[in-house]
Amino acid sequence: MNSMQNKIIAMAQLVSFLAMWIFVIGIIIWIINLISISVELQDAPGVSLGISLVAIPVFITLACILTYAYFGFKKNTSNLKNHSED
Amino acid sequence: MPKKIQYENELDAPLFRPIYETGKGFYITVGILMLIILWALIMYITQIWFGLGVTGMNQTITWGFYIINFVFFIGISHAGTLISAILRLSRAEWRRPITRMAEVITAIVLAIGGLHPILDLGRPDRVLNIFTSGRLQSPLLWDVTSITAYFTASTVYLYLPMIPDIAKLRDKGGKLTWFYSFLSWGWQGTEHQKKVLNRAISILMIMVIPIAISVHTVISYIFSMTLQPGWHSTIFGPYFVVGAIFSGIAVLLILMIVSRKVFHLEDYLKKIHFQYLSTLLLIMALLWFYFTFSEFLTGIFGSEPHEMEIIHYKFTGPYALFFWGMLLLNFIIPVIILSIKRFKTITGILIASIAVVIGMWLERLNIVVPSLANPRMELPIGIYIPSLVEWSLFLGGIAVFILGFVLFSKFFPLISIWEIEEGREEGIKEVEERVHSYLPGKETGSK
Amino acid sequence: MPKWAMVIDLDKCTGCGDCIAACKLENNIAIVSPEEANDGRVMFWMDMITIYEGEYPNIRVKRFPKPCFHCDNPPCTKVCPVNATYKNEEGLIGQIYHRCIGCRYCMVACPYTAKVFNWLEPEWPDEFKNCFNPDVSLRMMGVVEKCSFCAHRLLKVKEDADSDEREILDNEYLPACSESCPANAIDFGDLENKESRVYNLSRSSRAYREMEDLGTEPKVIYLQKRE
Repeated sequence: MNSMQNKIIAMAQLVSFLAMWIFVIGIIIWIINLISISVELQDAPGVSLGISLVAIPVFITLACILTYAYFGFKKNTSNLKNHSED
Repeated sequence: MPKKIQYENELDAPLFRPIYETGKGFYITVGILMLIILWALIMYITQIWFGLGVTGMNQTITWGFYIINFVFFIGISHAGTLISAILRLSRAEWRRPITRMAEVITAIVLAIGGLHPILDLGRPDRVLNIFTSGRLQSPLLWDVTSITAYFTASTVYLYLPMIPDIAKLRDKGGKLTWFYSFLSWGWQGTEHQKKVLNRAISILMIMVIPIAISVHTVISYIFSMTLQPGWHSTIFGPYFVVGAIFSGIAVLLILMIVSRKVFHLEDYLKKIHFQYLSTLLLIMALLWFYFTFSEFLTGIFGSEPHEMEIIHYKFTGPYALFFWGMLLLNFIIPVIILSIKRFKTITGILIASIAVVIGMWLERLNIVVPSLANPRMELPIGIYIPSLVEWSLFLGGIAVFILGFVLFSKFFPLISIWEIEEGREEGIKEVEERVHSYLPGKETGSK
Repeated sequence: MPKWAMVIDLDKCTGCGDCIAACKLENNIAIVSPEEANDGRVMFWMDMITIYEGEYPNIRVKRFPKPCFHCDNPPCTKVCPVNATYKNEEGLIGQIYHRCIGCRYCMVACPYTAKVFNWLEPEWPDEFKNCFNPDVSLRMMGVVEKCSFCAHRLLKVKEDADSDEREILDNEYLPACSESCPANAIDFGDLENKESRVYNLSRSSRAYREMEDLGTEPKVIYLQKRE
């Protein structure tokens, strides 16, 4: 069934999109974990904090760009679906 | 009976052809590459089983091929995204057939390069310790962070501009429609979607440049943050970035020339593209020489004894062949070929690019081994002879790179079809308006 | 907090190598095969640096034992990605064998080449296996190791001192090299203890440290008459 296939594909796209966010959030959790270890051991925590201040926004921005594109494309498809015949 | 996919009457039929037609050459190439990769895998398993003792590394020369190739492969990655991003930013129209290949090179070579430190570990089974007890204070972890960031950014930067082409393949139907549907995110080519895509690409192309520069700078910091003579130099950051862009452009040129021949893309990758890109290669050769000259002039003038030991080792000692070979391949050959118009043919550019790739690998060798072979403490000068395992893994890395590229060409167009179309439909008009805006007189109007 | 340091008197040292042998026995250091030794993979925690000076026939040979210097500003701990090498409060630089991932960055960063690596699974001849030191863990393939100032002896001495409710006496905690040296050239003790031998020797006019200008603040002090 074509529409069945479309539904599976839409689901797969959503799953891959969420996986991307899980990846980015995983990296952020990892960096925060390393910062907390460095604070606990008093092992130059300023360096860890400095690096995280650059790295975390980079990953979040990348994820947001993908999110923007993902929903930006979807928005129009749903409009088209409403208007087209099949 | 599978539906015959119609593409011959497309204006850009040659760009679709590699996807829909598979010749014998493809299978032979993939077969050979997979054999090489299988061999490399077997060699790596012997290394895991017996330990790093199967390599040629020893006391004082504790880093060898794996670190050299790590720096080498990550260096090549600068071709792609940096060139593609800078050319897009500067709105150079001649970038259109080049950007896709450049971005593919980056994505593949980053994955290979990023794996090399794990190949180098004595205990790869403990690599997860980086997550549980890592130290962001260590330059190695700065590396992990920035390479991950760059890999993510360049994959996104490769993927987003691919979406309109994937949608084209989806609409053609017949082959892997579900795959292309999945990847194309419902692209229909509407005005709104085009705006979203262009905005996303614009933000990305600006973001990617500092990330790319940070990657090779941070790799250089692995060396320059130690106290070893020959490494503890402030020039390393920019030196490595320049070297990376240099080797990256060379690899890009080689792949362009080969793809042009194999896939019959003469109409798309024209002489002018090679002229422009090889001029960039020439500029990078001169820049690279400038940095190298500064580095050694400073060392020799200062004559600090440990530095001089290393400089002698490179100039007149056991590494003289590699050092002067590097200068010949990186500077003399490319500059001669690329500055004399008669030599600047496609074959000439191919020779120059191959020379640069080998020369840049030698440069990494000349950075890693001499400083380690001449330790500060009075120990005998070290000798490093790479073993079969190290050579196999090096070849395996190259094979993975070529395989990745070949497989990519089988499923996706190597040249961005929609950007070529955009160039035809809108590019000429836009450039005309732009040039008019530079000239004195009225803002609009072409009269 | 004690600060453990070593003083090596080069005017007494004969270069006999007893310290090296004692160190190997004490710390269960692997003995590599002759082929591996040829490739430059011998494992020395205490090494003997040999310096030849002058031209033939007026050659002078200088030998000095070189353990890990346990620097106060160590370049190796700065670069470890997993905190497997660290500096503890008593000034000892430790190595956590179970955490080390074998990246060898600390080896590359150390200007004194103090660390060694287990390139293969460590091996010992059968006779050696009968006299392993039970206080020192055996290392596995693929990890970095180095002189620990025989920290296992410190733990024992601390236990004794705690159970007797007293401080550690000067010269109660001695690494194997110091204990075995037939010329009594290696002294060891607490730099914070103003009455210890080590403290007094460190203030001698003959005292110097290797490559002090690098700023590593090594805690092995050499004594040598200035020429």
